[in-house]
Amino acid sequence: MFNITIADDGEVRLSGRFDATQVERARGELNRIVSSCTVNFEELDYISSAGLGLLLGAQKRLLDSGAKLKLVGLNRHIREVFQIAGFDQVFEIE
Amino acid sequence: MRRRSFKREMAALDDVFEFTSEFAGAHDLGERMSFVMNLAVEELFTNIVKCHRGGGAEVAVQLEISGDNLVVKIIEYDAEHFDVTRAIPVDVDKPLAERRVGGLGLHLVRSLVDEIAYDYKDRTASITLVKRLEGPDVQHHDRGRR
Repeated sequence: MFNITIADDGEVRLSGRFDATQVERARGELNRIVSSCTVNFEELDYISSAGLGLLLGAQKRLLDSGAKLKLVGLNRHIREVFQIAGFDQVFEIE
Repeated sequence: MRRRSFKREMAALDDVFEFTSEFAGAHDLGERMSFVMNLAVEELFTNIVKCHRGGGAEVAVQLEISGDNLVVKIIEYDAEHFDVTRAIPVDVDKPLAERRVGGLGLHLVRSLVDEIAYDYKDRTASITLVKRLEGPDVQHHDRGRR
């Protein structure tokens, strides 16, 4: 089960399995982000190219206005996927 | 060897994951092997759903442990020819403004598995992926053969 929430402090929290069936739901939440923020992956188990694509789109949109996403708490499998995709050059990953 | 057919629609993905999860549990696959299997199956399945719209035929997913390998086969019936092994490579070093998502899924699959093969005959396309079992996965299956 996938979940995406935006906390009161602006942090975006992802959990569960971010697969292609979750694109529309996640897009709605990511489109609400208008300033720099942290995306917390600590509870996220899985992501595919569908999720990567949404995050890439959000990062592009934010950078146009001088803002950006910072990603934290990636498990080692998700971190590997980000590296293979070259997304470790696109995002600040902590 | 386990094989199941799924409707050629995005909503079937939950059933696909249920199938891969059952297989991973039955074969005691480790975290990374399960992750790679799920990613590979999702990317290929959704690619078929997105690119080959209109086809009513189901898509079969076959999972097997053969020796020290996980073998994944995706079989698409009534398929158009599209050789995934010859898809245009993705340049992952492009600057952000030029980055596109198209092709990223196949790039991930090709990077994470050890072998990928494509076969097309009589409008049936088969994609076969081989991933060598690693670490605890290998030890488990070695023990199982003794």
